[in-house]
Amino acid sequence: MNKKLYTIALADNANVGKSVIFNQFTGGNQIIGNWPGKTVEKAEGRIEQEGTRIHVVDLPGIYSLSTYSEEEIVSREFIAKEKPDAVINVVDASSLERNLFFTLQLIELESPLIVALNQYDIMENKGLCVDFEMLSSLLGVPVVPTIAVRNKGLKELFEKSKEVIKNTKKIKPILYGKEVEEKINILTSEIEKEIDTFYPPRFIAIKLLENDTSTKTIVKNPDIIALAEKLKKELTKIHGESPETVIISERYTIASRIAEQVTKKKGKTKINIGDNIDKIALNKITGYILLLGLILLIFYGVFKFGSYFSELLSTSFELLKPIFIQLPLPPLVNRLLWNGLMIGVIAGVAIVLPYIAPFYLILALLEDSGYLARIAFLTDNVMHKLGLHGKAFIPLIEGFGCTVPAVLGTRIMERDRDRFIAAILATLVPCSARTVILLGLVAAFLGPIYAIIIYALTFILMYILGRLLNRYIKGSPTGLVMEMPLYRKPVPKIILRQTWVRLKDFVYFAFPIIIAANIVMEVFTELNWVTPIANFFKPIMTNWLGLPPLAGLTFLFGILRKELTLIMLSTLYHTANFAEILTPRQIFIFGFVTMIYIPCIATIAVFKREFGWKRATVVAIGEFLGAIVLGGILNQVLRIFML
Amino acid sequence: MDKKVFLIQLNPGDKVKVIGFSTDHERFKSHGLGPWHKRKHGMGMGLARRLQEMGLIPGSVIEIIRNMPTGPVEISVMGTRLAIGRNIASRIYVEKI
Repeated sequence: MNKKLYTIALADNANVGKSVIFNQFTGGNQIIGNWPGKTVEKAEGRIEQEGTRIHVVDLPGIYSLSTYSEEEIVSREFIAKEKPDAVINVVDASSLERNLFFTLQLIELESPLIVALNQYDIMENKGLCVDFEMLSSLLGVPVVPTIAVRNKGLKELFEKSKEVIKNTKKIKPILYGKEVEEKINILTSEIEKEIDTFYPPRFIAIKLLENDTSTKTIVKNPDIIALAEKLKKELTKIHGESPETVIISERYTIASRIAEQVTKKKGKTKINIGDNIDKIALNKITGYILLLGLILLIFYGVFKFGSYFSELLSTSFELLKPIFIQLPLPPLVNRLLWNGLMIGVIAGVAIVLPYIAPFYLILALLEDSGYLARIAFLTDNVMHKLGLHGKAFIPLIEGFGCTVPAVLGTRIMERDRDRFIAAILATLVPCSARTVILLGLVAAFLGPIYAIIIYALTFILMYILGRLLNRYIKGSPTGLVMEMPLYRKPVPKIILRQTWVRLKDFVYFAFPIIIAANIVMEVFTELNWVTPIANFFKPIMTNWLGLPPLAGLTFLFGILRKELTLIMLSTLYHTANFAEILTPRQIFIFGFVTMIYIPCIATIAVFKREFGWKRATVVAIGEFLGAIVLGGILNQVLRIFML
Repeated sequence: MDKKVFLIQLNPGDKVKVIGFSTDHERFKSHGLGPWHKRKHGMGMGLARRLQEMGLIPGSVIEIIRNMPTGPVEISVMGTRLAIGRNIASRIYVEKI
């Protein structure tokens, strides 16, 4: 029997809980894929049920179907061109007006729509309830109330989606005011005659009247554009406002009217606790104290947790050594097995995992609670000095986990220039791999204060670089326009799943590289290649940076993954007690250079995909040279007062 | 008395009506803006449209929640909270009601 493949797209305003629905639907087995020819990330998943395969596509969260940002263009094109069999519009029940504004545009796009009225519980807290049957009849599409985080209503939503797939009835358009509607009709009938696009003619007509620039390039036909110009002038004459203001405001009027009609007061409004939290969390003094304290607490916590478990795991693994050494195998195989394979596994499990796991957990907590947006609010001011705005701080924070999602995350920036600056800065944020080196080497063997100094040096470097980039990259910065989400009590299941998805990526992606690199290194040792390679790097490594010649070899592996520099060091010297092999100054310089010397291969790859070869090469070489020069200068300075 | 002011000149709790967006540089003269506002760039069409799509339509009523001395302004509009960067907020005309 042939299995039929259907596509369901999820579309909504940012931060409404669509991704939660996506994960509940697909069991979190998301593959991050690319759109053909497009660079905006979407998540895809598959469900199989009773012989039907359903492909679920998670579109980026957007506010409108006009073309202000790349994400909006891509979402719009996906719905129009790929024609998904059903579009689930996730609507935040607690701010209906804003969300219906978007729903109305999806109806204009004539997509097969189902509305998921999400966060129904927050609405009830506000003492309101929605007559969703009335909402459904006013919009002309099915409406299902859901509380995604608690998995409520999702089964019904799924069933309704299947009904919509089977039902091909066209949705009735929702009408604007008389004058506007007149203009739309004139334009629509011309468009129907003259051009053939993926988009519905009425949608094109509305967007043209709304002054949407990219729609003009779709239309191309000069007669129609001229007609649109004429109609826009008439609209301006009647209403005394620009045509886009007229249409946007009429659309909002419709949204408000519907929202008002379906919303009923029920019971008392509970006091919004979030407002009280914000009085402290966003206060001009306490807000920053809280933020700083929280950051210090996070790093202290991760360091304490990490170093404790790291040592515990290392010593436990050491117990395995005698067993491996005594295996009845040729000594060469034995050495490869222990020094190559097992040391690699141990390094991954004992040196890296204990630091990464708690960090990912905290990151998920920050994301889920809504505090991340508050950080963006508080740092907007500082980010302006770098030519960015507060939202850029979010990918930078993600960068503490891993640089790859951070570079991808810069997509929340509206302009290419801002994205590029943010992405360069993101490559310098100490990712978890670099944190491993800072905490596991510098903090553990020199003391936490030295790790803090390296952090501070890196941030100063980022600040200076940001200011320079802002000055020399063409274009002017944009400002912050960001919706402040309500605080949410984190749901343990979702936090754990988010942490697990990230950790799984790390385990599947990084472990094979770490282990393979270890085996390669062991082969190098067996072949006696280590010393010649190390000697090649000697002039820079030893004379300029003051590091042991073998460090050059570890830096080479560090391009694969940053933590490999440290792991390789322990493989080469057969010890994890770095104080035996490096002087304090060497530890410090080693830590500093690994922080900045080159983005890892995965980062370079994602940078290339996002910004092209030219920019990726410039950034990689630039950071490499920068690290050698600055590391050397630092070494010469430290020689004066450090061993 | 001129009731027309810019969004950044207001205090928490103020309820105001949106009038429009300024694309010129008149705001430099009277409002004692810090040096980083001096970059010359008007509010592009795209931004004005985005603000309208977020509910800041001429005529709509908004409430000021928070005005950071050198940071963004937080407002309540269409039942949601919106953070607006200081240089954008310094270009939104409103009228006290």
